[in-house]
Formats: sequence, structure tokens, C-alpha cells
Amino acid sequence: MDSLNSTNATRFPKHLLDSLLDRLPGTSAALTRNDTSLLLAYGGLSVAVRTKINEDKRTSRENSSSVIRGEWSMSHRSRSVVLSDEDCSKKRRKSAKGLENRFRAPDDVMADMEKKGNFSSLMRPSNLISSKPGAAKKLVILNFKETPKLPLDYQEVTWAKLEEAVIAIQTSKSIKYSQEELFQGVENMCNHKMAQFLYTKLRELTQKHVEANIKPFLAESIDRLIFLKRMNECWLAHCRQMIQIRSIFLYLDRTYVLQTPTLASIWDMGLEMFRFYIITNPMVQTRTVEGLLMLIEKERQGDTVDRTLLKSLLRMLSDLQIYQEAFEAKFLTATERLYASEGQQLMQDLDVPEYLAHVNKRLNEENERLLHYLDQCTKWALIHTVEKQLLTEHLTSILQKGLDILLEENRIKDLTLLYNLFSRVKNGPTELCNNFNSFIKKKGRTIVIDPEKDKTMVQELLDFKDKMDNIVSTCYQKKERFHFSLKEAFEYFINQRVNKPAELIAKFVDSKLRAGNKEATEEELERLLDKIMVLFRFIHGKDVFEAFYKKDLAKRLLVGKSASVDAEKSMLSKLKQECGGGFTSKLEGMFKDMELSKDVNIAFKQHMGNLREPPLANIDLTVNILTMGYWPSYPLLEVTLPIEMVQYQEVFNKFYLGKHSGRKLQWQPTLGHCVLKADFAQGKKELQVSLFQALVLLRFNRADDITLEDIKAATLIEDGELRRTLQSLACGKARVLQKVPKGREVENGDRFSFNNEFTNKLFRIKINQIQLKETTEEQKATEERVFQDRQYQIDAAIVRIMKMRKTLSHNLLISELYNQLKFPVKPADLKKRIESLIDRDYMERDKDIANQYNYVA
Amino acid sequence: MPRGKKRVSSFVQSRLSSPPPPKKGRSTTVSRRASRNECAPEVFNQKACLKWFQEYSQNDDPNIMGPDGVEKFCSDIKVKPEDIVMLVLAWKMKAKQMAYFTQEEWLQGMTEMSCDSIEKLRYKLDSLRNLLKDSATFKSIYRYSFDFTKDKDQRSLEIETAKSMLRVLLADQWNLFPQFMKFLDESKYKVINKDQWANILEFTRYVRDDLSNYDYDGAWPVLLDEFVEWLGKDNSMNQSEV
Repeated sequence: MDSLNSTNATRFPKHLLDSLLDRLPGTSAALTRNDTSLLLAYGGLSVAVRTKINEDKRTSRENSSSVIRGEWSMSHRSRSVVLSDEDCSKKRRKSAKGLENRFRAPDDVMADMEKKGNFSSLMRPSNLISSKPGAAKKLVILNFKETPKLPLDYQEVTWAKLEEAVIAIQTSKSIKYSQEELFQGVENMCNHKMAQFLYTKLRELTQKHVEANIKPFLAESIDRLIFLKRMNECWLAHCRQMIQIRSIFLYLDRTYVLQTPTLASIWDMGLEMFRFYIITNPMVQTRTVEGLLMLIEKERQGDTVDRTLLKSLLRMLSDLQIYQEAFEAKFLTATERLYASEGQQLMQDLDVPEYLAHVNKRLNEENERLLHYLDQCTKWALIHTVEKQLLTEHLTSILQKGLDILLEENRIKDLTLLYNLFSRVKNGPTELCNNFNSFIKKKGRTIVIDPEKDKTMVQELLDFKDKMDNIVSTCYQKKERFHFSLKEAFEYFINQRVNKPAELIAKFVDSKLRAGNKEATEEELERLLDKIMVLFRFIHGKDVFEAFYKKDLAKRLLVGKSASVDAEKSMLSKLKQECGGGFTSKLEGMFKDMELSKDVNIAFKQHMGNLREPPLANIDLTVNILTMGYWPSYPLLEVTLPIEMVQYQEVFNKFYLGKHSGRKLQWQPTLGHCVLKADFAQGKKELQVSLFQALVLLRFNRADDITLEDIKAATLIEDGELRRTLQSLACGKARVLQKVPKGREVENGDRFSFNNEFTNKLFRIKINQIQLKETTEEQKATEERVFQDRQYQIDAAIVRIMKMRKTLSHNLLISELYNQLKFPVKPADLKKRIESLIDRDYMERDKDIANQYNYVA
Repeated sequence: MPRGKKRVSSFVQSRLSSPPPPKKGRSTTVSRRASRNECAPEVFNQKACLKWFQEYSQNDDPNIMGPDGVEKFCSDIKVKPEDIVMLVLAWKMKAKQMAYFTQEEWLQGMTEMSCDSIEKLRYKLDSLRNLLKDSATFKSIYRYSFDFTKDKDQRSLEIETAKSMLRVLLADQWNLFPQFMKFLDESKYKVINKDQWANILEFTRYVRDDLSNYDYDGAWPVLLDEFVEWLGKDNSMNQSEV
């Protein structure tokens, strides 16, 4: 009890308890059982002390300790029986639960005492008893009886038992002693400062055993699989044993080992041993790792392997913390080697879609491998290796070999797979996008550039655009960059051929808007127009489109062939939306003219009715009044009209000019059409013909047989036009005239006569004017006009810019022009215009700085 | 003015071909006059100067020296009409049109050079030639020569006239000159306008002979762009022939 001196007393709490328990192994049970009383004693003490403090604050330190001693001895004395070790542990178990709760109490008490601070110093020994009022009671303090001691050979005996048990475990034999007993032994040894001894001994024991275990693995020529299995067994046994050992030595593990930072826990120690003596052996390690790699390779080749074995051994490696250094690196190298050669091989052997499917399969397999037995930390590196070897290395060749075919054949599934795989690797999407772009450019160019394909160009473009749109939205997840690239590519290739696509698009729209095109409902037509607008958007020379569109629109309006006014208006509003009001103002003007003409005709009919003597009751006249400038310009042809028609025109001229003085009317015979009544042997017919055709036919009212030259002289129709007209009447489907000699072409000196025998089942017959074959000429004229307009626009733009800036360098002027001009133009053309303006003194080159221009007011 | 035009072109032709031999009779009178003035070489004598002018002036209009007079004047000072110094003289006199000097122009120019006799002027010729070496002056003379050479009622210079003028001005100092002439022969250009004219000089000065610093996107007139393009084609053709 001497050791329980004053210093210890001041730090009364747990230490005291622990050391008490340490020192009195024999009494520990009693103590614990008597915890309550002990605590009560504490409680009483503190109360007592407190009262004493109140009475006299000068209590000596020594005395306080003696008080406590007294208390201790009292409780000690209250113990009646000393229980044997064995019994103790049993009872201990029973009360263990209770103990946990109780342990809180002393904490409180301790806290209480701590609050008091070193109360002992406040106490004075002299006053402790004597100063108490009415101090009648005497507190007698007795010394402890002899300290209970462990038997001297306790350490050896207990260790012998433990050693036996451990060896039994290691050799898978039954343990002679109860685990309880062993556990208790460990606990006691720990509590009696034998922990270090115990740990060292245990360590030696483990070491010996593990060291011995290596032998079977050192033998030469074991089948790899058997080797692995044995290794696995050995490992599993080791784990099992270590768990058992640990549970016996739990107390050691949790107290001594835990408190000593330099020591590894029993489990870790076991691992350490295993690692050191078995796995770190180079041969064993190599064999293990190679065995594992072999198994994995086998599995990669399609064999079934024991995945549990793999998993267990790989777990072993990672538990031993040598997974990364011993296995992962080699594994990745092996993977890389395998897939590098596989990638190269298969790229040659397989089609791209097959190859992609294979890559996908490989990636799935590797992911499964990760899921089943590989450590997760390998995931990134493994997948990355596979991607690198199978994809990154072959990006370009995959794209070059396969993309075009996939796109061409519209293989949505394969393209989706391609995209998904490519989006896994760096640069994949970029490369894909670039190749996609160049495919469109290449393919689009073939559509656009070949004049033979002009007829189908627009439809092909629409189909192509649909296809590519579909691929972007289903395969490429509607990614922005692909959309953008698609647009860019279309814009690029469509303008590869200057002007022609614009012209053909205009004509395509015409064919769709013309009457007789019944294949589409209004909605379909609307959708189609929307698609065409998308193409239109790509075109640089929109003025070319406008020129051709205008020409065709004029035809539709004047011949009354327009399919639907709504569709026309809708197209017009689309154009307006796209290019602004300036672009469509003339087109709108054409529609307006048509409306106004209707009103004029109604008024004219009324006017005719009001005339007292209608001049020619059997002729009807409808006039379209076209504002100059809105409409395409038509060549003015002078022809000889029958006198009746001329009179009628006169009447109309008078009527119209009377209403709108100051205007000038100019009759356009080329655009007129007539309905003629004809008497054939078979019966009356109505012939719907052009004005020229009518003029020719009317000649036959006076004569039956006329030569080409006579007709020409009588009508003054231009030669080519007249020949075509006669051809349509005498050589076409409905031959109302007969030609001598017969033949398809109209030659000089041919004679024509009225075909009285003409038969047709219809009453009203439309005789088509033969379309001018030389549309190329017309086309050229239209283009020429467009180019001329462009020159004026360039000039205007230059002057506008120069007027604003006064002085401007050449390059700035050019770039500003490119901003302003909406059609494609070469720098050389701009320069020519600039030079022309310099020549015309609109501007001048700066005298000193050659590439700067000054505006000349 | 049909007459003038004819004169100019004949004048140009004469410049292109060798000058006619100087007429002896007149030159002697002039030299006699000149020797008389030798006593006071430093003093400018306006009267003498005017009198000198009268020797060349036309009979119908004494205020103007016509092509014949100029020809005679050339031979008097022993200079070929196509000599570049004639251009400098014209520039000094601020002559409005080639092959014509008015009395005003004459007087003003001669006064500035303080020359009133053939001798004085001949003495002065070398310093006039030296003027050409100053690049600013040369530029000014070059630009002046466009207006000087062209017909007054036209905006541009006819290609043949332009070519002979360019030969006078640039043949000695531009290595690409022969090619340029060939290019003009092959091109469809019929006239050279003022802008092109001015830029030809800039081109000779700025662009190296190997065209290494030529900028296709620069402000060069299309004529010169085409010349460069032509040169490229020409070179490649030559190479292929080699």
C-alpha cells in the first residue's frame, strides 16, 4: 500500500482503480462486485469531506490520504469470500453488463472531486477528526492484509498453455483448454505487465509457423493451377488461424498493442509475417503473379476459370498491400501487350463494325473482371489501357476505314456504338467530328458538283440532310459540335459550285408549288418548304435564288398555275423571315399586282357593259397589269394582232389610262394565252393555247393551206418562236394542223393546212407551247443580270463605307465589304470595283500610303 | 483636236525610233546666238530667253512651241527627244502636254533654272539628270509624266504610249521591266489609268524582284496582281521547258 502515496491520491480516478486492480489480482472480483459500496464510500467521503471543508479549510494533505486509505480498508474488509480465479471470470461475465452502467457513476464522482480540485491540500490532518462538532466517533484505520500475489511460475505456466493452444490452432487440432481460460490467462498476463513478453512470444510462434509454411511452395515443377490452389488454401488457413489466435489474444490486442504505437496488431502482424516469409519470396511471388496472369489470360481467351480462386488470391495480395507493386503493374503490362497485338491484328482482319463490337465486348469483359475479382483501384488504369490499345491507337484508321461506309449505309446502331466508344477516349469526339465533317463535304460535293445530276440534286440534298440530321440526333446524342459541324460542312460544299445550287433550289420550289403537283398535302408541302429553307440558308448567293425564283413565280402567277396561294404566301413569308423585307419586296409587289389586276378586270367588265355598243361581244379580255421593276424583264416583241384584238386593246387602254393618268401601258404578247373555239368534222372543240398559237391558228380562218413564210409575214412572230409554235400545233400530241411534208422539225417552205379530221375525246384541249430548249440562254441572261446587280451593289457598298470613313486602308475596306455583301465575291472582283471607282473619281488612292483610300466628295 | 493628237503620236513614234538628224542651218544660228550670250553667263536675261523661245514657236501662234519646235529644241541642246532629261525639263516647266510648251511655261521653267540660252541649258542638263536620283523628285516626275503624256480629253493612257513612257522612266532601274512589257503585250489591257500608273512605280520600288514580299491580299491594282500571276505561270513554263 506504500505505493499508494499522496501523489497518487490526488489523481485518484481511473489510475487508482486500475493500479488497484493490477495489484490485487486475487481481489479483483470482489472489488468489482463491491463497486457499489466503493462508490458509496466515495460518495460518503466526498460529503464528509465537504462538511469538513466547511468546518475547517486547513486539512492536511497527508490526512486526506489516510482518510481514503481508511475508506479503502473498510471496503476491503467488507469482502467476505475470496473467489478462485475460475469462478471469478464466470461471475465477471454475468456482471459485465451491470458494470458497464455502473462505470459511469465513478466518472461523475470523479468529476465532482476534480471540481473540488486538490481538495486534499485543503484538508488539515489535525482538524479532520477533532474539529468535528461533538466528535464522538472514532475512525480507525487499519492496514491491508498481505497483497495477493500471482504464483511465481504463473507466466511460464500460462504461456505454456497459450503456446499449446496456438500450436493446436496452427496445426488444426482441438485445443485442450477452454477459450475462456486462455482468454483469462492472457488478460491476467497483460494486467501483470507481461504483455510485452506475451506479444514477443506470440510473434515468435507465428513467425516460426509461417516460415515453415513456405516449404510446399518452394518445390519445383508444380502445376500452376495447383500451386495457386495451394497458395489459396494456405492463405485461407492463415487467415482462419489468425482470427482464432486473435480472439484468444484479444485482450492483448486491445490493450497493450493498441497503446503501443510501434507494434502492429496481431492480425497485421500475421499479415506482415505472411508477406515477409511467403509472398516476398521472389519465386513464390513470381509464381503466384504469373499464375494469376495466366488465369486471366485464359479467361480473356474465352476459357472459364475459377473466379473465386482469382478473387481470393487477389484479395490476398491487396490485403498484404502488395497488390499494386507485385501484381497491378505486371497485369497492366500484360493487358497492354495483349490488346496492342489484338488491336493491330483485328484492325486488319475485321470490318470496322465488327471491330467496334469486339472492342465493346472487351470493355464489358474487363468491367466484369473488375466487378468480380480485380481490385477497384485498377479500374481506371485497366480501362484506360484497353481504350488506349484498342481505340486511341487506331482512331484514325477506324475512321478512315469505316466511318464513310457506316455513314453511307446509314448504319445507325454501329454509328451509335462508334460514337459511344469514341467519346470514351481523349480526342475521340473531335476526330469523329472532323471526319464526319469531311465525309459530308466529300459526299455533298459529289452531289453538287456533277452537272449530270442537276435534275436530282435538290432532292438528293434534302435526303442527305435528313440522313445526317438523323445520325446526329440518334447516334451523336444531338451534340452541339456535330450540329455545328454539319451546318458548316453543308454550307461549305453547297457553295462549292457557284450559283447552280441556288438556281436549282429555286426551280425545285417552283416544281413543288406549281399546280398539278398533287403528291403532297398542305402539311407535307409546308414541311418540305421548311426543309428547303434550311438548304437555302446555306447558300451564299441568295440573289441568284431570288432571280430564278422570281422568274418562275411570274410564270406561275401569269399562267395561273400556282398550286395554292397559301403555299405561295407561306414561302414568301419564310423568305422574308430569312432575308428581310428588302429581299421580298418585289415578290410581294408581284402578288399585289395580281390582286389589283383582278379589281381592274371587274371594273373593266362593268365598263364594257356600260358602253352603248359593245364592240366585240364575242371576245373576252382579261388583263394582268404588271408593275415594271417588280417583274422579270421580258423581251418586247411586236406581232401583228387581229384587228379585233387591237380594237379591244384600244378600249382597254382608254379605260385604264382614263383611270390612271400618267401611266404607260405596254402589251406583252409573249405572256398571253387564249381559248379558241374550233369546228372540226368530229364536232366543236375549245382549244386552250398561247397567244402565238392563237395568232397562227386564226390565220386558218381565211385560208386552208399556208406556207411557213406566209404565216411569218402575216403574224411577224419571231422566226424561232414561230417554228416552235407550228411544231406544237402540227407535230405535237394534238395535231390541229397538218404539215407537208411530214416530219418533226419545221423546215423552210413547209406548208400547213387545217386538220379537219382532228379527233380527241376531250372537249377542251390544252395545247402546250413547246418550251424553249435554249433555257441555257435564258439562264445565262438571268445570271448576267444577277452579276450586274452585284456590281452595283459592290459599288454602292464601297461608296457607302468610304463616305462614312473618309479614309480607310485597303484591308479594312475589303473586310468591311465582306461583312456587308451577302453574296460570294472574289477579292479581285472587289479590287476591280475599287479601281473603277478610283477611275471615276469617287475615291482616290492616298498619294503616300499606297494601300489607303480617301473618299472624294 | 485631231491635229495635236496626230502630232503626239508621231512624236512618240519618233521617240521610239531614232531621232531625225538635226537640221544644220538652224542649229548654226542658235549657236551663234548662244555664243553672244557667253559674256554674262550668270545673269538671267528674260528677253534673251523669250527670244530664244521665239525661235521654236509656231508661226500661227507665237505663244506655243509645237512638236517641230520641240524637235528642233532637242537637237539644239543635243538631246534625243526620248531622253529622260526632256521629261525633267517638261516637269520643270510644268508643261501641260507633251510636245508642246507655251511661252508661259517656258519662261517660268527657264527662269527657275535661270537659263536663257542653249549653252546655259546644256550646262544645266547634268544637274537635271541628277534630280532623278532623288526618289521623291523622281516620284513626282513619274506621276507628272502621266498627265503630261496623256491626251487632255482622255482619262487614261493608251497602252503603246504608256509602254514607251515606262521604257523611258523605268527600263534602267527595274529588273522585271522586260517581263512587264511582255505581260502588257499579252494582256488584254488597252489603257493604263492613273491609279495603275502610280502603282507601277510603287511596285517597282516596294516589291522585290523575286516577289518574295508580294502580298496577294494587298491593295495592288488587279493589273499588277495579274502581272505577278503571269510571272508565276511564265516561270513555271520556263522551268518545264528547261
